[in-house]
Amino acid sequence: MAKYIIKRILLAIVSIIIVSAITFFVMNAIPGGPFNKEKATSQQAQKVLEERYNLDKPVPQQYILYMNNLLHGDWGVSLHSGRDIWGEISSRFSVSARLGGMAAAVAIVVGLILGALAALTRNRLPDRAIVFFTTLGTAMPSFVLATLLLLVFCLKLKLVPVWSSSNPNYTLPIIALSVYPMAYITRLTKTSMLDALNQDYVRTAKAKGVPAWKVIFKHALRNALIPVITYVGPMVAYILTGSMVVENIFTIGGLGSSFVTSITNRDYTMIMATTIFLAFLMVIANLLTDIAYKFVDPRITFD
Amino acid sequence: MKKKLLSALLAAAMVVSLAACGSAPAAPAPDEVAEQGATEEAAPAADAAEATVTNADTNILRINLASEPDYLDPALNSSVDGGCLAVNSFAGLYTYNENGELIPDLADGMPEVSADGTTYTVKMIDSVWSNGDPLTAQDFIYSWNRVIDEQTAADYAYLFDVFVAKSDGTLAVEAPDDHTLVMQLQAPCPYFNDLLAFPTFFPVHQASVEAANPDGDVPGKWAQEAGFVCNGAYTLKEWNHDESMVYVKNPNYHDAANVTMDELHFMLSADDTAIYAAYNSGDVDYIDTVPNDEIASLNGINPEFGILPQLGTYYVCFNVNDPMFDGKTEEEAANMRKAMSYLIDRQFIVENIGQTGQQAADAFIPAGMSDGNGGEFKAGVSYYDAEKTGADMVEDAKALLESAGYSFTDNGDGTYAIDPAINMTYLTNDGTGHVKIAESIQQDFGALGINIEIKTEDWNVFLEDRKNGNFTVAREGWVADYNDPINMLEIFTSDSGNNDAQLGKGTPVSSSPKWDEYNNMINEIRYDTDLAKRVETMHKAEDMLMDTGAVIPIYYYNDVYMQKSNVSNIYATVFGMKYFMHATKN
Repeated sequence: MAKYIIKRILLAIVSIIIVSAITFFVMNAIPGGPFNKEKATSQQAQKVLEERYNLDKPVPQQYILYMNNLLHGDWGVSLHSGRDIWGEISSRFSVSARLGGMAAAVAIVVGLILGALAALTRNRLPDRAIVFFTTLGTAMPSFVLATLLLLVFCLKLKLVPVWSSSNPNYTLPIIALSVYPMAYITRLTKTSMLDALNQDYVRTAKAKGVPAWKVIFKHALRNALIPVITYVGPMVAYILTGSMVVENIFTIGGLGSSFVTSITNRDYTMIMATTIFLAFLMVIANLLTDIAYKFVDPRITFD
Repeated sequence: MKKKLLSALLAAAMVVSLAACGSAPAAPAPDEVAEQGATEEAAPAADAAEATVTNADTNILRINLASEPDYLDPALNSSVDGGCLAVNSFAGLYTYNENGELIPDLADGMPEVSADGTTYTVKMIDSVWSNGDPLTAQDFIYSWNRVIDEQTAADYAYLFDVFVAKSDGTLAVEAPDDHTLVMQLQAPCPYFNDLLAFPTFFPVHQASVEAANPDGDVPGKWAQEAGFVCNGAYTLKEWNHDESMVYVKNPNYHDAANVTMDELHFMLSADDTAIYAAYNSGDVDYIDTVPNDEIASLNGINPEFGILPQLGTYYVCFNVNDPMFDGKTEEEAANMRKAMSYLIDRQFIVENIGQTGQQAADAFIPAGMSDGNGGEFKAGVSYYDAEKTGADMVEDAKALLESAGYSFTDNGDGTYAIDPAINMTYLTNDGTGHVKIAESIQQDFGALGINIEIKTEDWNVFLEDRKNGNFTVAREGWVADYNDPINMLEIFTSDSGNNDAQLGKGTPVSSSPKWDEYNNMINEIRYDTDLAKRVETMHKAEDMLMDTGAVIPIYYYNDVYMQKSNVSNIYATVFGMKYFMHATKN
């Protein structure tokens, strides 16, 4: 196990380096630049800025300088606002992670319960209702859902403010973020639960007189979890880093909108930092997913 | 039966999704920065005719101007919304009152000007920074020299070109005592007092600037978080990035007694949907972005909707070095461009796309701009009849194109086919308003068989292509920084980074206009001591510019806002600066 984890961590470092190199060269290849403005920056100022941020050097040399700084813990400053990148990422990530963490928890808990319930009540009313809503949940784009929530709960029912400087309310963004993964988890759980319920070991357990709840939770649900875990790992990493659409509609200063605006602005240091950060989270999530398999299904070995 | 019900419900859900995807607002805004990152969906409808809900916090004004500002340091800011934050939290020598008149702020009376118009002496009142430190004339000298310091790399450093530079590169500004500033200008500058009220001329607190960034490599660092030292009506108490900013009254502001609003809370968003929803729910009192689709139902119907005049021009620009003009003479190429200008139905654009009562443009310098000599520059200037361009001028356009070597055959349906064919690409950035204008022009050009293909580009690529002359015709806009035509005329000098028309630069073709005379005129205007002659030269320069046909003015900008019925005394200047400190709410 320890050997496996070490091997995976080494592989992870390699993949992050590859991701960073690809991003760096692609980002420099796309047209546009960080100092383009409607009212043009003077040539003199542009020159000073390019020198300050090493943009006057050849791209491969820039990459080496960047990675060298990164190894020394220096993420640089945003080319757009002069802000410290690490401060920016950590403060925005804490917002996105709080929001995304709650949304992920809601999606997993509700998704598992609904999925199990749908499997147990197959073709009866609860199952039909769950199938209907999960179909809707997977089909509706998040910006439609977010706008709809805003319209209904903020403007019509006036239950929560659209925006508040003193006390932002996270209920609606959590719903907007969690509906899709929740619907997906429900469907996955239902399918694999149905599969598990038809297995011999469930029939044996039932025949032995094991109580129904124990059959469901210990035997069926646990075995039904593997495909769910496969999905949940990367989903959590993704949801933690925020969604531009949901953040924009509910005025939340998370990481999701930074991803997108940094690209629009050609804010090279910010693009690199957000990409490396997401890559890092993905690698961790995949590693944890693999370890979780082992706990759910002891037959899985890592050798 | 069940299946039918289910499919009906699913179909209904799809219709809802489609409806929400359908419309996409965003009026052609002069300042595109605010548009970046905005999503485009339908805004929740509100009953426009009725007054919208208000909130009861009479000591807090809640505002949306844009998303997160890049810089709060007045020296580094170059956006209009950042300028609005600066005028409410910093004080310069002068400011504007609710009638748009220039009044002293830290100055004690209007400046004393020498007979030759080049030496300005300003006396200052006693005032302190928000931390209690005294504010002296030295603070201004430091702040202004900091703007022009190469390492600061300030966008607006060029505004300080009006000063005489000393041999060490610093500005010829002296402080004989703590409360007097003596400034030497290169030439009389009719708009100099306006500059003294412009955010880039506001003082910054030297000790704070230097303490935050001793190495000088991140010049704006001192104002990156709440709590920095300033000297205006409000100080920034709280800043949740991309969410909100809370400004509270600065008790040390010299005119604090007249600041009527205790707190300003800014919603930091550029999302039309969210902003309009926050306004309609009563969570925000003042907004200056309104979804384009809502304007028709608000303008003239809801008294909360208002229009502010602005000094700026939306225009279309030709690249004079484009291969399309190669082989033509200078006059033929100009006639081609002017013909296309005649074909554009400006009234249609203003009424159906702009929708906020913009004035169709018949000259580059906008209506309302001063001539720097006591008059309005635009008075009596018109290069064509802006109400007639479009269908009524097809024959004039045809004649001009014929003079440039084109021939026409009548299609019999009121349109013509042109020979040889003209096919070109119209470059614009994303943004529904811009694309709609492009489509309108595309249709207008069709009258003479001229084909244009509309190409939309990502904002950053668009700016780069325009700047480098990688286009044939593109949409443009300019909002003046100060009230003088030179600010708009100097865009087109050969050495200007904003000269997208490539006049006098790049790789010329046979018809590229000779541009030295224009450059010389601009130089003359900059240093002319005779203001009447200066006005004359500026008119000559505009004539020369319009004569190339490279610049095709469409309309003069204005700015929209919505303000709750219980709010009053917010005012704005024609440069887009909004003053909130004297607002009242009941």
